[in-house]
Amino acid sequence: MIRLTTILWTLAVMIAGYAMFQVKYEVGRLEDRLTQLNHDIAAARDENRVLNAEWSLLSDPQRLDRLNQTFLHLSPVGAAQISSIDHIPFRPGSAPTPMLAKAAP
Amino acid sequence: MNHRLNLGHDNPCRPRHFRPGRAVNASPEGPAKAALELSHTRLLIAGALFMLAFAVIAGRLIEVAGFKSGDLRTAHARQAGPSHVARADIVDRNGVLLATTLDTSSLFAVPKQVPNKGIAAVQLASVLPETNANELYARLSSDKGFVWLARQLSPQQKMAVIQLGIPGLEFQTEGKRVYPKGSLAAHVLGFAGLDNSGLAGIERGLDDSLKSGDAPVQLSIDVRLQYILKSELARQIADFNALGGTGIIMDVRSGEVLALVSLPDFDPNNPGSAKPEDLFDRATLGIYEVGSLFKIFTTAMALDDGVSTFASRYDATKPLEVAGYTIHDDDPQKRWLTVPEIFMYSSNIGEARMAADAGTDRQRDFLDRLGLLRQPSFELPEVASPLMPHPWRPINTMTIAFGHGISVSPLQVASAASAVANGGILYPATILKRPDGAAPQGQRVMSAATSLEMRKLLRLVVEQGTGKLANAPGYLVGGKTGTAEKVENGGYARHALVSSFLGVFPINDPRYLVLALLDEPHIGAKAGGATGGLTAAPAVRRIVERMAPLVGIQPVDENSPEIRRSLVVGLPPQGRTLAAN
Repeated sequence: MIRLTTILWTLAVMIAGYAMFQVKYEVGRLEDRLTQLNHDIAAARDENRVLNAEWSLLSDPQRLDRLNQTFLHLSPVGAAQISSIDHIPFRPGSAPTPMLAKAAP
Repeated sequence: MNHRLNLGHDNPCRPRHFRPGRAVNASPEGPAKAALELSHTRLLIAGALFMLAFAVIAGRLIEVAGFKSGDLRTAHARQAGPSHVARADIVDRNGVLLATTLDTSSLFAVPKQVPNKGIAAVQLASVLPETNANELYARLSSDKGFVWLARQLSPQQKMAVIQLGIPGLEFQTEGKRVYPKGSLAAHVLGFAGLDNSGLAGIERGLDDSLKSGDAPVQLSIDVRLQYILKSELARQIADFNALGGTGIIMDVRSGEVLALVSLPDFDPNNPGSAKPEDLFDRATLGIYEVGSLFKIFTTAMALDDGVSTFASRYDATKPLEVAGYTIHDDDPQKRWLTVPEIFMYSSNIGEARMAADAGTDRQRDFLDRLGLLRQPSFELPEVASPLMPHPWRPINTMTIAFGHGISVSPLQVASAASAVANGGILYPATILKRPDGAAPQGQRVMSAATSLEMRKLLRLVVEQGTGKLANAPGYLVGGKTGTAEKVENGGYARHALVSSFLGVFPINDPRYLVLALLDEPHIGAKAGGATGGLTAAPAVRRIVERMAPLVGIQPVDENSPEIRRSLVVGLPPQGRTLAAN
């Protein structure tokens, strides 16, 4: 009886010890991964800041205007180029009457 | 240690059940018994120590498992939380980045560890163009424990230094303030120093919140409008050979400053190379006698207090002589003029008489209500106080009526004129974006009826008066020209003008105010004739034409009956006016 208890306890201790080291190594692995991920996040953030700054630099209106004058020669939209859809008359030949006629009966 | 703890039989701490049994007690005697006693005691003490250690471990285990688990879990998570930057970003109203902080490396040396200082200095100077070998050598030869060699290196420079492989050199990561838009919003942003403290502009005005917060500071500035304003002002300054200029675009319904330009300007990335006049913000720190722009306020006062109506007539037949001064008109009509005509022709005589009718107290009260007599509250630290006469004599009242004898900043004029145009409510000017949907706190400074009459007058100036060159077809610009002689040595200088134009559009339902002011414009080589209507008004027209599609203002047919009706001013027929003369 005593011997059985001892064997059981020994077994339990061995299993517990094995499990503990398993968990310990797993935690260690996860911590390494977490550290790596945190490091990656920080690096990505820094890179993001730099890219944001670069985008802002490249989209500077002073630069865009200079590029436009060199390559595109676009000019600002004038009031005469803007109108409302209401001001556009229907083309004389394609008045919407045929559609209405079809729908009516 | 155990020897000291061996207290023998009489140890009161010894538990009873450890007392040696009779059998054990019986057989060994003498030295054997003593040895057994000793080992028992040792065993007991060792056991107690182990118990204590296990108790501590158990306690700690319970503590960790039961109470501290939250902390352990967050210990790592904290590293991945919001990254803390040394200084928050600044963005425009649409989120476009205006100022940010990037990590750069700064090079320092521990001089004692640098073996060959001469060679090191020469090598470093060859890869760092902004340094000089002699100076580096002097620094490396100092007996300090730490010397800076170069601040804020580029990544390429850092690599070059590493490849030199000189011992005793190290890098320190430092935040560098970067302004990607360069000089575009120089005076709004200001700049920050190497030690990350704001030294000018919004960087100084909001230094504390920029240092403490991670969330970007959002300005009311719109970079697109800022660029339009800057480029058109720069063009006028070049065309009219002016000393400088300033401009403001303001949302008249909230007091938000959408663009603020002062020229000449500087590059905030390199403020050290800027001249003092480049750093000077003419829009907020400059104060000017703005001349006829003040007629907006004089006329609004006379109409709002019921002193005058559109039908009131004033004698502008000849220059007005008061207290030894003579008040002239630039474009003398030499007849009696109604209030709209006075405003349209920008008659100094008429406005002076109008102000005299209203009286000094009314004028001072009204200008004070519009915020023209006190330092405006603004987020930029560079804000000037107005300059006004003490005491305020009747002659001052008459000259202030047409904007002479009082100096105010363009920012104050823009705020006050916004109130005149927007229905009579004064909103404090701000450079920070108001939260969406938040109704700005304003203060009624005149009746809505007066504001409507003023809008009609402003439109009249652009349609038929001195501001015709500001007429951007379709966008219903209303405005007022201003031309003032600069004060010099106590008198006025005929050769040095401050010419301006203040436009509001669309005038039937005002949304935006555009103010352009040129300092000492010339036509050819002469200052004479470089009036606001000729120099600043065309700039305002182009600014309105360029910005309207961006801000979503639809062009309208100016001759449509409803618009004509809403803005018409009944001018007396010319014949009758002539007959009255």
